[in-house]
Amino acid sequence: MAQGGDEWELSKENVQPLRQGRVMSTLQDVLTRQENASHLAMQQQKQAFELEIRFYSGEDPLDVWDRYINWTEQTFPQGGKESNLSLLLERAVKVFHEEKRYYGDPRYLNLWLKFKNFCSEPLDLYSYLHSQGIGTSQALLYITWAEEYEARGNKKKADAIFQEGLQCKAKPLNKLQCHHRQFQTRVAQQVLQGISEEGGADAADAGFLETSDPQRVFLAVLKGKGKKKQAPVNRTTDVVKPLNVQLPPPQQVPGSSRFKVFDENVVTTPGAELHSLTPQPWAALPPAKAKENEQRAGPWNSGRHPHSSHVLEVTSSLPSFIPYVEESAQPAITPCKINPTINGVLSARKPGKEKDPLQRVQSHPEEKEQKVMYYKDKVCAGVEEFSFEEIRAETYLKKMRKKREEELQAREQRRVELVQKVQEMERLLNEMKNKEDQNLVEQPTQMSEPHAMVSSSPDVLKSPEQQNKDAVFSHIVLDPENSPAYKSLSLLPSSVRDSKLQLKQQDQDQLCSLDLDLCASTLSGPMPISFTVFDELLPENHPNRVPVPCARRPLAPVSKPQVPIIPKGGGVMPEVSDDLAGIEPLNEEAIVTEHNDKTLFPIPEDTCDFMRAACVVSTPFHGVTAQRVESEPDSGRTINETERQPLGEQTPKCVDSSFNQALGVKKLSPILEVSQEDTRSSVSSSASSVSNTFVDHVQISEELVSTHCRASITNKTVFCFPEDELLVVCCGELHRQLLKPFQNLFSSSTNFHQETELMPMIQEETNLKLGSENYCIKQEVVVDEANKIYLGALDTATDAMVAIKVDSQPIPWDFYINLQLKERLGVLYQEEFQKCNCFLYQNGCIMLYEELTSISVWSIIQNYVTIHENYIMVLVYHLLRLVEKLHTAEIVHGNLHPEILFLGFGIGAIVSCNKNISILKLVDFTHSVDMRLQPLSSLNGFPIIETQQAQQILSESSSPYQVDLLGIAEIVHLLLLCEHLQVHQEDFKWKLSKIIPKYLNSELWARFFETILNADGKSTVSVLRELGEEMKPSDSVYQDLRNFISFLV
Amino acid sequence: MAARQLSRSGITLKGSAEIVAEFFFCGINSILYQRGIYPPETFTRIQKYGLTLLETTDAKLKLYLNNVVNQLKDWLHSCSVQKLVVVISSIDSEEVLERWQFDIECDKTMKDDSAPREKSQKAIQEEIKSVIRQITATVTFLPLLETACAFDLLIYTDKDLEIPEKWEESGPQIISNSEEVRLRSFTTTIHKVNSMVAYKIDS
Repeated sequence: MAQGGDEWELSKENVQPLRQGRVMSTLQDVLTRQENASHLAMQQQKQAFELEIRFYSGEDPLDVWDRYINWTEQTFPQGGKESNLSLLLERAVKVFHEEKRYYGDPRYLNLWLKFKNFCSEPLDLYSYLHSQGIGTSQALLYITWAEEYEARGNKKKADAIFQEGLQCKAKPLNKLQCHHRQFQTRVAQQVLQGISEEGGADAADAGFLETSDPQRVFLAVLKGKGKKKQAPVNRTTDVVKPLNVQLPPPQQVPGSSRFKVFDENVVTTPGAELHSLTPQPWAALPPAKAKENEQRAGPWNSGRHPHSSHVLEVTSSLPSFIPYVEESAQPAITPCKINPTINGVLSARKPGKEKDPLQRVQSHPEEKEQKVMYYKDKVCAGVEEFSFEEIRAETYLKKMRKKREEELQAREQRRVELVQKVQEMERLLNEMKNKEDQNLVEQPTQMSEPHAMVSSSPDVLKSPEQQNKDAVFSHIVLDPENSPAYKSLSLLPSSVRDSKLQLKQQDQDQLCSLDLDLCASTLSGPMPISFTVFDELLPENHPNRVPVPCARRPLAPVSKPQVPIIPKGGGVMPEVSDDLAGIEPLNEEAIVTEHNDKTLFPIPEDTCDFMRAACVVSTPFHGVTAQRVESEPDSGRTINETERQPLGEQTPKCVDSSFNQALGVKKLSPILEVSQEDTRSSVSSSASSVSNTFVDHVQISEELVSTHCRASITNKTVFCFPEDELLVVCCGELHRQLLKPFQNLFSSSTNFHQETELMPMIQEETNLKLGSENYCIKQEVVVDEANKIYLGALDTATDAMVAIKVDSQPIPWDFYINLQLKERLGVLYQEEFQKCNCFLYQNGCIMLYEELTSISVWSIIQNYVTIHENYIMVLVYHLLRLVEKLHTAEIVHGNLHPEILFLGFGIGAIVSCNKNISILKLVDFTHSVDMRLQPLSSLNGFPIIETQQAQQILSESSSPYQVDLLGIAEIVHLLLLCEHLQVHQEDFKWKLSKIIPKYLNSELWARFFETILNADGKSTVSVLRELGEEMKPSDSVYQDLRNFISFLV
Repeated sequence: MAARQLSRSGITLKGSAEIVAEFFFCGINSILYQRGIYPPETFTRIQKYGLTLLETTDAKLKLYLNNVVNQLKDWLHSCSVQKLVVVISSIDSEEVLERWQFDIECDKTMKDDSAPREKSQKAIQEEIKSVIRQITATVTFLPLLETACAFDLLIYTDKDLEIPEKWEESGPQIISNSEEVRLRSFTTTIHKVNSMVAYKIDS
């Protein structure tokens, strides 16, 4: 009944037992592993350890060795050469030989004790340890030492060792005592037994186990028994040693009773003196490794006593007994002379090659004459030699790692500071706001207040880069001449800039003068790190950016996105930042201080960053203050950043160029506040204008929701959401409010199920019970973090799949959209959309879309690189139809992408009998907008906005329906060319950047793209219908399609 | 052996109980010897299952084990025992160092008067042999028991069973942070015994 996990038993002979036991999992691994794989993994681990040894820079190098050795023991159960364990141990003990601090460390002692197993004479080792004071405070030393003696039968010495240990108060003392007690018990028992059985003078010394069992003779020849000639299990029957050998072994050499032949069956007699435990200097160490089958030198018949007896009585040898050294120097020649020329195998063993490891450890090589000019210690530190390249590589990697860590830390710190700054600013601005009405006289004080407050922050946010920052800040250059209309108020990440300042050009001088005053008065301490922080961010992304004239690029006639939209991946960064190129001034400090890397907020645009930070940090403000300041709606200038109104007051302002230069690189002090009085008026005016626009946009009655959401959906800007969650939450909140009046509608619908419990956890390969059916979840198609779509199948074995969309918010938005579609499309609904069920739980919502296959358009794109054009046309046609229907029902999908379009089930059948049914099904309506309910006039809130193409193509005047058109274009582009949509402008029209290859009907597609990309102003429904007509495939194509689909399915 | 008498007629419930009880007797003895709970000189060799096993000669221990085994036999007969556990703990610190657990699965449909099951004695013996061999082989990975240890026998029975005299209720004596290794099992078709050992790993 051998089971799989029994390798350990089968290889038990090959596994050395360890004192501390083995970890079974490691053992199993090692024993079952394939040769190559295991070898590689082990080598790698070994390499890792070796590296660690060489490059360890901590306090406790012993730890590295300790772990290495433990790992080796567990990983190489056979011990043996592969593991290099003996070498490893030898190295280890040698390395720390000089380190007195480890002498009392139990780990070091353990190393020695493990090393002892490889030494020929463990007792020597113990004596050595004792003499050197290694581990003499550990009970383990004495315990194992005494064990050794006991094993050799020398009870007296064992006892002496225990006594010594007790005297030294070795720790843990009770353990030592306990072992001592047990030892004594054992001895007593044996003595009693011995007395009862033997009754002899040397009974007290007899540690020999006397039993009445027949004992086998050692190394007797086994005689096969029975038919198979196998040695039986019970092997004691044949050759039995005589029991109870009482007589001392006969002296082989009569007359000279000094030496006794060592008889293993009798304990060594008191001939071996009690070895005194006083530490002695060890001049030379005894014996060479006991070689097997070794016979000492000497003619056979000389009468000289074999020296071998000494070897085995070594335990008590005194150090001054030099002969041991000499002995080892004697060549051990086997008595039988072998002609080396004839038989190379058995050549005479040369002395000195196999020295006792202990001896090696103790010999301190004196090589004062030689000086090693390479880092020998690094090369030879571990067991293996490292090559120079490896060492260099490791040092390099270490440096890199360190650098990266530092960078990350610095970034983190900056982020924290930024956040704090933001908070500070908010607080200050709030106060500012409160003091709006105060007159000018009080300005200076006011100004200095915030200044004081801000300057207090530096204390809070002390950083090593403080100096740097200050210097940086000083360079907050706002080159007035360079920025004609626009002052980049980079100083405060929060506020600044923009339009407010634009309005106040005329106040520049005033401001400047005020600034100067301020400056003079506030040259106190390090200023606003806030400002500097801001600057640093910039340069991080654009170190090469020169203080470009802050002139904004005039808006192109075709709408350009006005705000840097934060792409999710930050990939759009360079492009977007180009838009804002003119905005921030740079300072050399910042350039110098490196960092081309991405920052936490990919867009360098400070206010956007700030807004993002604000969103992260302080939600309430975010909603309320995210109002656009429309400074010059007619100037055609777009405002690139959203500003926070209150914060705007703290615009730092413009600096005189001369002033700027005067500041120099390392100087401090900056200007902080600005003339509030000047800005205030404009602020208030702009505030009012903002609120006006704000009001205009509010369509929905719920205020909270509107402030939340409208903040993002303001006229001129596309808001940047830091995280997806925010977007979803925003929409979630919105949806929740919108759906309030529809609750009755839901509950009356047959496909709606209100469940009382919590939403079940859904995982792949599990079953899910929805309503009355059980579904088996096959696959997960993640859309985004808040929504997941799973493919499942009914337990009953149809091939129809269902899509299960899981929403973490208990808001049945999808269902609502479906209901509306049903209502508005009437009969046509059946053609395009499939049956869906909604399950509303306490903490989430599940939508069940039935009758699908597992093939999504995305999978088609991925798996089939070249799809026949006809098929593409069919898919496109159906897609167009689908979207056309949506638009007819005044619903904008908002997030069309290939992953949520699935092929409907039973297409083959459908296609053949009823060509009117769409083969594509949508499974996600999270971002859909019901235009009747929620007439939007801006495009914010659609995820697609964040892409590059969207920013290019769509403008603020585009209708939301165009978002869907763009989505379609993207999908078609992917289907056709397997690449994302790329466009460029030609003659005010958008054209594809990629050329459609010849094998496709390029005319058709070119027209298609042109129409769909430049559909501004036209009704999308008509556009779609038009395109649909073009794309409508013929009957023959449908035939092929059936084949294609059956091939897919 | 007693079981041999039944060999021709198959395994009955009573026979199975005896086989299992015998196994436990030998198994526990082996464990005690292997782990050094009792000094090796107090053990004597016997032949069983085709192996040379060691049995204790200590009178008190022998008596104790026999009592346990007889009680166990009864319980096996009535199919009310689920586990037998040998707990090895250090005498001084009372810490549980090793735990040998034998799970017993009883076929409750088997009654005294049911027909005997077909399984050869030899097969059962082979199985038991391999289990005991494996117990011996555990030395490869079990840590050395440094301190003097004592053992405890725990038997898991049905809830409503009456506690016999000389027995008392006890906790499971589980080892925290233990390594567990599953060993072989054997079955008499009426009783199935799974074995495993849990030990404390010293890192």
